[in-house]
Amino acid sequence: MTSRPIEWINRWINERWPLSAVLRLAIDEEIPGGSRFVYTDGSAVFLLFTLQAITGILQVLFYVPTVDHAYDSLNYLRTEVPFGWLIHGMHFWGANLMIVVLALHMTRAFIWGAYKKPRELVWLAGVLLLLVTMGFSFTGSPLTWDQHGYWAGEVGTSIAGTIPVVGDMQKRLLRGGEGMGQLTLSRFFALHTMVLPLLLVSAFGLHIIAFKVRGTVGPWDALKRRLSGPFWPDQVYKDVLTGSAIFILLIFLSVFVPPVFWGPVDILDTNYVPKPDWNFLFLYQVLKYFQGPLEPVGTVGVPTVIVLLFVTLPFTDRNPEKNPFRRPLVMLCGFIFAVTITALTLLGYYSRGLAELPAGSPAVSSLLGPDDAGAAKTPSVSQPSDQSAPAQKTGGMPSATVETNSRTMPGEGAHVIGNAERGGAVFGNYCAGCHGAKGAGGMQNPGSDEGKVPQLNPVEREIYNKDPKAFAENLDRFIQHGLVPPGKKPLLSMPAFGDTHGLTQQQIANVEAYIMSLNGIDRGQIVNPGMEPRNFFILVASVYILMLFIQGGIRIKSGIP
Amino acid sequence: MEHDSQIPEMGHVEATRRRFLKWLIAVLAAVNALIAGIPFLRSLLGPSVAAQKNEWSKVAAVDLLPQDSPVDMRFMAESGEAYLHNTVLRSVWVIKHSPEKISVFSPVCTHLGCYYQWNGQADRFECPCHASVFAPDGKVISGPAPRPLDTLESKIENGYLLVKWENFKAGVPTKIPVA
Repeated sequence: MTSRPIEWINRWINERWPLSAVLRLAIDEEIPGGSRFVYTDGSAVFLLFTLQAITGILQVLFYVPTVDHAYDSLNYLRTEVPFGWLIHGMHFWGANLMIVVLALHMTRAFIWGAYKKPRELVWLAGVLLLLVTMGFSFTGSPLTWDQHGYWAGEVGTSIAGTIPVVGDMQKRLLRGGEGMGQLTLSRFFALHTMVLPLLLVSAFGLHIIAFKVRGTVGPWDALKRRLSGPFWPDQVYKDVLTGSAIFILLIFLSVFVPPVFWGPVDILDTNYVPKPDWNFLFLYQVLKYFQGPLEPVGTVGVPTVIVLLFVTLPFTDRNPEKNPFRRPLVMLCGFIFAVTITALTLLGYYSRGLAELPAGSPAVSSLLGPDDAGAAKTPSVSQPSDQSAPAQKTGGMPSATVETNSRTMPGEGAHVIGNAERGGAVFGNYCAGCHGAKGAGGMQNPGSDEGKVPQLNPVEREIYNKDPKAFAENLDRFIQHGLVPPGKKPLLSMPAFGDTHGLTQQQIANVEAYIMSLNGIDRGQIVNPGMEPRNFFILVASVYILMLFIQGGIRIKSGIP
Repeated sequence: MEHDSQIPEMGHVEATRRRFLKWLIAVLAAVNALIAGIPFLRSLLGPSVAAQKNEWSKVAAVDLLPQDSPVDMRFMAESGEAYLHNTVLRSVWVIKHSPEKISVFSPVCTHLGCYYQWNGQADRFECPCHASVFAPDGKVISGPAPRPLDTLESKIENGYLLVKWENFKAGVPTKIPVA
């Protein structure tokens, strides 16, 4: 009885829009040789892209593409919005996994000969999808506008700038000017969230329609091809199983290997070694072999050759034979290509950066301003006498009625999630001299009531706070504004690193993250997880296991093969 | 599916298997959608951490406030919203009854959140949006406002009036603070 209204709706729609025909194209397919798990790689890429779109839209509801708030807004999502950690984690890992699965998908198409006549368009649209995906990866990284993302963008656009003749124009197009800045971020954001998605959806339409018209290539063995199996529901079931596995993997990675907090962009921090994301490492490595006048060979030549190889493949290899064992030359070429890319990637990964400085480089100490150059030696503290120092954007209250002491307010650095590891390096250079290595023990400080420089590991109880934000603010007041310890004539005092610009706000944020980590507090701790990530994973895993048992039980009870 | 357990023909088994697969696909897809959908929806329903930090702000020197006459006092206060840490200009209505007794009203109309004004000639507060009218003690005289003007916590310290800024839910008869 219930089917009648459905039939009526079905007829009503079909008279106006070819719903049945579209559905038939989507699911009516006889797969030569039957359904197989190997064929689920394409739908896995599709699932990953769908998840990227959903998590991407969710991120845009919190993230702002401005240089002063991109990093903060992302971290707000990650630490203070319920399940924000999951949204960003899945987007980050989804992006990485998408490239892996895409590579597998193309490898399979290559081995199965799925690019051959009459499936050339499927392959070509696929190559376009690969390029768009690489574009997503390239424009996505800088959006975090942290140390890692900023430099990935800087290096990437610089490479575009080395291309002969059009390079400079191309760089300016990408950056919105000579240097990296707000316009760069806006352009990357627009590319990543508007231009590339449109391109991808168009290329995907081309790819999937071409694919559905000709269907799966199936096994190369004629014997196996005799039998066939339906796409719906057999193959779809396997697709859903693979999809679920990917889904749980993404959640697992988001819970147990969350993306790193790289710390805010700090162009003065010369200790940072920029390296591109792993999927561009092969190009990065190639560039090292082509330097000087040969540079364009690496920057334009190699990528162009790779793209041309992909694009021309269906036309250069016109042999109709699909069995890989009977196409040894093509297989060998493919193998050499894969090994080369992998080897270059590994070389790039394990190599020292192009700009890597020897340890203990003087770059950092040269950043010391003249008024606290002696920070580590004899800090005759320079209390900031000039209030005009534009130390903070947020600190002061420029009101006539209220005289607020901006020296007691935390500065910008307190609100930013720093990177503890990088903070450790700064600490070693600036703070360890008085507070001891790892803040473990202070130097003697004659003339002060305490008699020694305070220990930071563990830190005084009044400064410690379980809430990472409050802890950072407590620390920040001292680092920004300094302190003359009580006592008759203390030999050492805490320099005002923020007010005197002895340290950048980014360095201060990193140092705070480091001192907090010494005290067992993670600066990037999730304040409002919605649900503890581990518990969430256990819950999800339990649901899947339960489902596995239930469906197994039904199968056995009803004798379903 | 009970009748399938008798020895079926091959076609029958195949049909059952396919039906079962279709069910499994639907259930798996639904479970996955819920696993992602519930957290994602949760993220949209609002950050529940108290974003607003309510700290005492110095608003005026008590001596300089006029007696029994409402004044619009402006002051800068630190405002934290999501990831923004800004200094914003706030305004409150202050009425000094005596050097010890001062009323402080939020400048926001309790009806729909417009900023109301003082009409000195009629000795009353008037909201320009929907013509709610309030007495100097905050009581509703006429108009759609569902509750009296919202008072803000205040104290006097060293001759200064200090106020704790807060937002309240508009349009409801009770004063409910909102983050």
